[in-house]
Amino acid sequence: MTASLIEGRNVSKVYATATAPLVALSDVSFGIEEGEFVSLVGPSGCGKSTLLSILGGLEERTDGTLVLDGKHHDAPRADIGMMFQTSVLFPWRTVRENVLLPGIILGLERKQQEARCAELLSMVGLDGFGERYPSELSGGMRQRVGLARLLAHDPRVLLMDEPFGALDEFTRETMNIELLRIWERTRKTVIFVTHNIGEAVFLSDRVFVMTPRPGRLEGIVEIDLPRPRRTDVMRDPRYAELVFEIRGMLGVDH
Amino acid sequence: MTIADTAPAASAAVPRALDGAISRFVDAESRRMRRKRLTNRVLATSFGLFVLLVWHVATEAGFVHKLIIPSPIDTFWATGRVMSAAYFWPNVSVTLQEIFWGFLFGLSSGAILGISVAMFEPVRATIYPYLVALQAPPKIVLAPIFITWFGFDQASKIAIAVVMSFFPMFLNTLTGMTSVDPNAVKLMRSLTAGRWKTFRYLLLPNALPIMMAGVKLCWTLAVLGVIVGEFVGASAGIGYLIYAMNFQLDIAGVFSLIILLSLFTLFVYQFIEWLESRIVFWKQL
Repeated sequence: MTASLIEGRNVSKVYATATAPLVALSDVSFGIEEGEFVSLVGPSGCGKSTLLSILGGLEERTDGTLVLDGKHHDAPRADIGMMFQTSVLFPWRTVRENVLLPGIILGLERKQQEARCAELLSMVGLDGFGERYPSELSGGMRQRVGLARLLAHDPRVLLMDEPFGALDEFTRETMNIELLRIWERTRKTVIFVTHNIGEAVFLSDRVFVMTPRPGRLEGIVEIDLPRPRRTDVMRDPRYAELVFEIRGMLGVDH
Repeated sequence: MTIADTAPAASAAVPRALDGAISRFVDAESRRMRRKRLTNRVLATSFGLFVLLVWHVATEAGFVHKLIIPSPIDTFWATGRVMSAAYFWPNVSVTLQEIFWGFLFGLSSGAILGISVAMFEPVRATIYPYLVALQAPPKIVLAPIFITWFGFDQASKIAIAVVMSFFPMFLNTLTGMTSVDPNAVKLMRSLTAGRWKTFRYLLLPNALPIMMAGVKLCWTLAVLGVIVGEFVGASAGIGYLIYAMNFQLDIAGVFSLIILLSLFTLFVYQFIEWLESRIVFWKQL
């Protein structure tokens, strides 16, 4: 078979607890292609966040192999960017300084980063907000800054852990549309964790459906909806079909 | 202040008729705020004056013997007498030096050890249990021993001030360094930031607000430590003067020294608060 950008073979993760060992991830195997948008969907405890942490090199796996770009992968890398449910902006830095942070830490060229920062802020619709502090922004705007910071050092792979999970439904939808627009322009490899099935179908090329106790990869659903996608894709009967297929795999429709 | 996602579109579209109503409302609100501030100030001031009056009447009318509690006017005159006495400034200078060095050493050792314990696992394993155990007894019990060890001069007072002001600084620094958003730590790790960069860009600024609260505690305790040390055994200093005047039943003199010391402590405290508002400016946004 041809080598994918990211390949996991029998990836497992076991946590030691006071009572019995907890199997967070059991024998997960998958391949993710360059430029693909993949969502990990499942209820709490299905190991989706654990898998994302392992992909980010932040957590060790207990067993299995993980290969990124032909090399064994088990430590954080500069070409992987992470985004979390909270924006994790540093309140003592302005919006601009927050976006510049990855470049500073990675020692990238300052002038180039400044230019890129301005470009990114305008891409996420925050022109003129560079000198504001995070506490002056709404939740949605903070996640936009988070998005700009995620892209600041131009990582090849984006790992997003329920990035819009704390936003209200309307803002979340706006952010999804925004994310798709940006992804269509940049064609990064995205791995997106969510417990919202509709969101996963709307965004992804493929949805990894995960079930808990122990965390397993139940199946992979190809999302064959046409791109570029706009909100009207949700009116497509195929959209509903896919959502219900995934619901069925998760056993939500009893 | 929070700007809604839709704010830019809405701001220009206020109908003219509403304009007047809005400015009338804003005016009324600011008038109400001004009145409230004034009322609060009047209340506080009149309470202070009332206490002064009771103090004055009770002492001048002889309800309390003037030897036990001098009247406000006596205290006022005593302040002038004490401040113009030849012994005043040399003693003040002794105490100020002790406070300065005690505060400085307590502050820096607390901050450095707090950072070390938070950053380096072996340091934590080695000394943390002892620091927790040492924190339990009231540090004042060490005062007599320190006089024995370091003598009647300034060194013993500085030592007491250091021991007293060290702990709040240490604990606040440690708390600040460890109460950090786990996602922020993950973010730094994902950016391949090492120990130093994580400290410089995340842990230290994150700890500053709690550390500044520690600095304020540190200051009051350093002053306390020095004065207590001078009570226990000294041949100079404000604490020594208070002790000596009390012995000679010069209570008015004692009162004036207490007031001067309080004013000085308060003044520096407010200076630290001003510094705090500069250093951790983002807490006021």
